[in-house]
Parts: sequence; structure tokens; C-alpha cells
Amino acid sequence: MASTRDTSTPAPAAPRAAYVLGGNRIPFARAGGRYAQASNQDMLTAALDGLVARYGLQGERIGEVAAGAVLKHSRDFNLAREAVLGSALSPTTPAYDVQQACATGLETVVSLSNKIRLGQLESAVAGGVDTTSDAPIAVSDRLRRVLLDLSHAKTPQQRLKAIARLRPKDLAPATPRTSEPRTHLSMGEHQALTTAQWGISREAQDEVALRSHQRLAAAWDSGFFDDLVTPYRGLTRDANLRPDTSMEKLAKLKPTFGLSLDTPATMTAGNSTPLTDGASTVLLGSAEWAAEHDLTPLAAVVDAEAGAVDFVHGVDGLLMAPVFAVPRLLARHGLTLEDFQYVEIHEAFASTVLTTLAAWESEEFGRERLGLDGAFGKVDVDRLNVHGSSLAAGHPFAATGGRIVATVAKELHRRRAAQVAAGDDAPVRALVSICAAGGLGLTAILEAA
Amino acid sequence: MSPVAEAREVVLPAVPGLGGLYARGAAGAARLAVDGGGKRVSRPLPDVVYAVRDLHVDAAHLTAYQRLLGEPGTDALPAGYVHVLAFPVATALMVRDDFPLPLLGMVHLANRVEQRRRLTLGEALAVRAHAEAMRPHPRGTQVDLVVEVTGGAGGDVAWRGVSTYLAPGLRLADTGDARAGDADAGAAPASERTPFTPPQPTGSWRLDADTGRRYGAVSGDRNPIHLSALTARPFGFPRAIAHGMYTASRLLADVGPARGAAFVWSVDFVKPVLLPATVAVSTRPADGGGYDLAAWHARTGKPHVLGSVTPLP
Repeated sequence: MASTRDTSTPAPAAPRAAYVLGGNRIPFARAGGRYAQASNQDMLTAALDGLVARYGLQGERIGEVAAGAVLKHSRDFNLAREAVLGSALSPTTPAYDVQQACATGLETVVSLSNKIRLGQLESAVAGGVDTTSDAPIAVSDRLRRVLLDLSHAKTPQQRLKAIARLRPKDLAPATPRTSEPRTHLSMGEHQALTTAQWGISREAQDEVALRSHQRLAAAWDSGFFDDLVTPYRGLTRDANLRPDTSMEKLAKLKPTFGLSLDTPATMTAGNSTPLTDGASTVLLGSAEWAAEHDLTPLAAVVDAEAGAVDFVHGVDGLLMAPVFAVPRLLARHGLTLEDFQYVEIHEAFASTVLTTLAAWESEEFGRERLGLDGAFGKVDVDRLNVHGSSLAAGHPFAATGGRIVATVAKELHRRRAAQVAAGDDAPVRALVSICAAGGLGLTAILEAA
Repeated sequence: MSPVAEAREVVLPAVPGLGGLYARGAAGAARLAVDGGGKRVSRPLPDVVYAVRDLHVDAAHLTAYQRLLGEPGTDALPAGYVHVLAFPVATALMVRDDFPLPLLGMVHLANRVEQRRRLTLGEALAVRAHAEAMRPHPRGTQVDLVVEVTGGAGGDVAWRGVSTYLAPGLRLADTGDARAGDADAGAAPASERTPFTPPQPTGSWRLDADTGRRYGAVSGDRNPIHLSALTARPFGFPRAIAHGMYTASRLLADVGPARGAAFVWSVDFVKPVLLPATVAVSTRPADGGGYDLAAWHARTGKPHVLGSVTPLP
């Protein structure tokens, strides 16, 4: 005990629990598909309105709404607030924007639930949206510079001088790219390096993809998503889902990443996530607020840990940050992978899941990189991404976190209810792991309420 | 006492423009062709140091360099930027009438920079440049251009660059040059002796056809071999080639702040980058500390630039 500490400072009270009370998203569309004309604000508002309708929140003043988009127009500086103003929520509901690449959606859940835990908020809505169909297109840096200098110019000579710098190629628009700003390698090329480093086979990746499609299709068929998804623009299911895909079909696809490496290229359009449009939201609240609104807490957001790796110097793969964050998160709670009935690893690529698992199963990696006595642990396939993940659903960057958290919370609550009915009161936990651009990763623990 | 200390100092009023120096270099090449037949080096290096005092950095110029190379836009002067600022003083020395090698046609073989401390915007810089160690090379005669930069009031050398140039096809006669190189002179750089196996890349550069023009605009080095295919062809290049120091400085920028404030940044230019090009690069941590640098042809695997960044204590 800290007997030497100043006893006049009271120890902070253990924070109360913050719960996932529900979620709502729109079906995810392939880029250029059903949502080709929809903006980020349109889709986020649609998902939010669906959540409001589902949980009877019309006119309600929610504590705070946080949401974000990875590919964002500069005019959308208040995207979350604008979505609130366009929704059926009370216009007195405050909101703020968040951006942490593909971890954006999960980060909104984490930061809002922390505010609830601290008593700053009673209720909150976390969300995320992304469109690659309506992506911002900017003018080139050189044209932008000329235009800015032109607006600052005071004399005709200065204006002429600015315009004289323009070259025809400066007029070409700059479209957003998925390549890393420091390495200029695309996310797929980065993951191809990691895939080669860990020796992940094409077949293993195709198996992950096939399972993702089969499981997501089964979840849709069983009605699992009936109270988690609101149809939008005529789309009622995730457009990327291929229930009839097979190992044979996946095997026919030509590799798209890692073509210049000296190992065989294994990553295809089938075992990589496609560019997708979509939005998701998650309703969060305290136990008191849930009771007042006659809502059932599904799962508590227990804790989270962010991580980052030095991919710039090739020390670790771009998408390997969760490999380091999860052991730290679990150590803080005295838990091992065995303590989780359910594990969600975001399928940025099938091989991201496989390299993550391979690192955790490696004795050498556990000892040398994670500072453990041996391997970190194993995750069996029957505990992993049980309702499919991004390979099948698609991956509208900032919307993926909300999709996963809402799915996990519902599944946890269902399992816990079944377990309690069978006379077992043990906790039911889920681990969520999301990798992100910039060598980032965000991981979280949820526990069934 | 070092020979440099005895050398005559020529103080220039400002850093000269490279364009004018190249014009003089072209005239000098014609002169050398007349009086030496262009095949044999007939003179020792001039015993002279060129100096520029009270040099001030222009913030807009620094910004343009930082943007182009991918360096963070802080007030720190990247080591490659100091080269851009200071090397023209050495070039001025190379176009002297008594400089034994012709400026035009010289090939930049290697570059070594020792940054002892970080220089920053606002410091008044002083530059001193001299040539030394003229020595035989299997393909001609090589020489080191040494540039030292001091900043602020301290007067200690903060940045020291050694640029090794080759004058192809020129044989070194016995000139009795006190500054001639030592026994290992003439040996090819390590990169030419050991075959290069590309490591796993850590990044990739897409270099457009105007890469040389853009670096030329910022560095002032508008040598025709860097500008266009048309201007490069007379010098034996099918297309424009990237500036060696551009590729070396991008590798340094890719290492990023991890290089620290004091380091040795050393590169060998193995094969020129013909523009446009896709170049694979690696800036991995080296076994003994620091970073190994490599840039190579993405398809053939042939090396363009190899080097290292090593921290100074």
C-alpha cells in the first residue's frame, strides 16, 4: 500500500461502468455502388436516424455524439455536429469529430465510454462513416500554393508572378491515396511485406476470406443483423457479401499485392478488403440512463489500449500494432487470451489476421519482442470473428469500429443470457483488435452485462 | 599543422550562383582540352581555401527544400540543405583557372557529411571549402571537395562535408602534389566490389520526369544532365538523371528524426537514377546502431545509392 503518500489526497473512486446499449448501421456498399451519390454526412445521418428510431430517442438530448471519417472533405470540419443537426436528435445535443484512421470508430466508443465512466456523460453516441465514392478531390499542392499566394498578392506584379509559376500538370487534381505518406507504399504493399515475413500461404488467406463470407451470410440469414442495420438507398444487405464464394473461386483470383517481392504473391482482391461506403453508430450509456430509458445494457466497455509500431524503418509491419497493444491490455487486467470467449480481429486483409495470430503463437516473438516467457497465446477459429468481418462486410474505414462493437455487444449479451440460464455466472468477455494506417492499432475489452 | 591552415584564403562576397559557375566550367573544360589534351592531369590542386562569411538562410528557400525532400518544416537545417547552401563555394574553387580537373563531366562518386550539431534558421553561417586528396581511380582521377560550415558565434565546425568527384578518363601524372591521396587511393568504393542483394524495402519513391528540374530549382544545380532527356543526351545519358544528392537527402529524410542531432551521413552513388523511375528504398536500423541506407531499381534490383547514417557520440 502507498502508506508514504499524502493521505489528504483522496484515492479516486473506481469509475462506474459504461455500457453499449445498442447500435445501428446502414448496409455497407461497394465503392461506386448504391451509395455512389451519398456523402459522408448523408450516410452518417441515415445511420444515426436509424439508431434514434430503433431506441426511441426522437427529440432526446444525448450527452455527446462523437464520430469521424478517414477521407473527409475540409468543409466537413463539424461532420458529427452536422449529422446531429440533420437527425431527429435534439439540436441541443453536442458533438465532436474524431480521426484515427481505421481505428476512428473504436476510438469514439473508447473516449465516450471513458466520459461516461467519469460521470461527465450519461449517454453518448459513437459513430463513423466513410465513402470512397464521394472522396474529396483537392487541387495539386502547387496550384493550391499559387492560388493562396494570389489571394495574398497586393500588386498586379505579384499576381502575375504567382500565376507565372503555374505549369499545366499543376492543374491535375490530387485524389486521396491509401499509400503511407512516409513510405509511399500502399497499405496492401506494406501488408504484403508482413505476409512474406511470416510466410503466410495463399490458401490460409483464402480460408479466412471464405469463412468471413460464410459466417456473415449465416448471420444475415439467421436475422442477427435485423436489429443492428437499417436499409438505405435500396440496399438491405452488405453488398460485398458473396455467400456462394468458394475456395475454387477465390483461388482463381490473380494476386494484386506483393508482385515485386522475391516470394510468391499471395494477396488478392478476394482476401483483401474492398473499398467500401457505409456508416455505423453505437449507443452508449450509464446503467442509470439505460434504466430511465428502458434500455438493456448489452456489454460494458472495460478498457482499451492503443499501440503503434515503427514501420517506417521496417522494424515491424504496418498493421502489427495490435500485436503489441493486446498483451499490454490483458496484462493490466491479469487476463490471457484463454479468458476471452470471443475475439474480433479486424480483417483489413486476411493475412493481417493470420500474421497477428502467428506473432502471438510464436515462442521467439513472445520472448524477444513481447518480453514474455514464451508465446502469447492462441485464438481458435471458433472464437474468432464468429459473425464474419471486414472481408465479407466491406470496410468503410471509420465505420468498421462501430460495426464490430455493436456486433460484439449483441453477441456477448446473447451468450451471457444463455450461460446464466444454464446456471453459469462466469463473465463473458470479448477482445476487439483493429489495425490502422500510420502503424497504429487500437484494442479493447468488452464484457457482457 | 595541416596544409589547409597554410593555404591562401579567398573570401567571396557571397555564395556564387551555380549557373554562372557551370558556364565558366564549360570554358575551363575547353581550356584544359587545349593545354593538356584532356588526357593527363598536369597540375597539383591549388593551395587555396574559398570562404564565405555571414551567410543567412532564407526561410522561404528552406521551406521549399523541406517540402521537396519530405523533411519536417521546422527551423532545423537538414544536413542535405546545408550542402545545397554551401557546396557552390567549392564549385567556385573548381572553376579556377589553376584547378587541374574540368568541372563539366565530373561524376559525383560519394558523399560523406559529418553533422556535429544541428544548425538552425537565424544563425549566421560561415563556409570554407578546399580540395584535397587528388588520387587515381580505375576510371580516371578522383578528388575530394571539403566544405566546412560554422554557425553562430561559437566558431566550431558544425557541419563538414566531403564530396568525392571523379574526372573520368584523366590520368594522374606525377605532379608532386603534397595533397595526393594515400596508398588505398584508387580502390573502388565497397559498393562496387561486393554484389548488392536488395533487402526487403521499407518504402518506395515514384520519381517523375521533372524530379531533376524541381531539385534543380531548389538547389540551384541546373546541370543539363538533370533537366531533360534532350539536354542529358550529349553527356551520354539516354534520359535525365536524378541528382545524387537528391536521392541521398531523401534517404536521410526517410530516416527522419531518428537520425538524431549529430551523425555521419555517408553515401556511395553506384548507378544513376534515369528519370522517370520507381525506386525501392530501405532505411533499416543497422546492426551497430544508426541506419543502413539503400535505394535500388525496383525491378532489376540494381543499386542506385548505398550508405549509412551513424550517430555521433
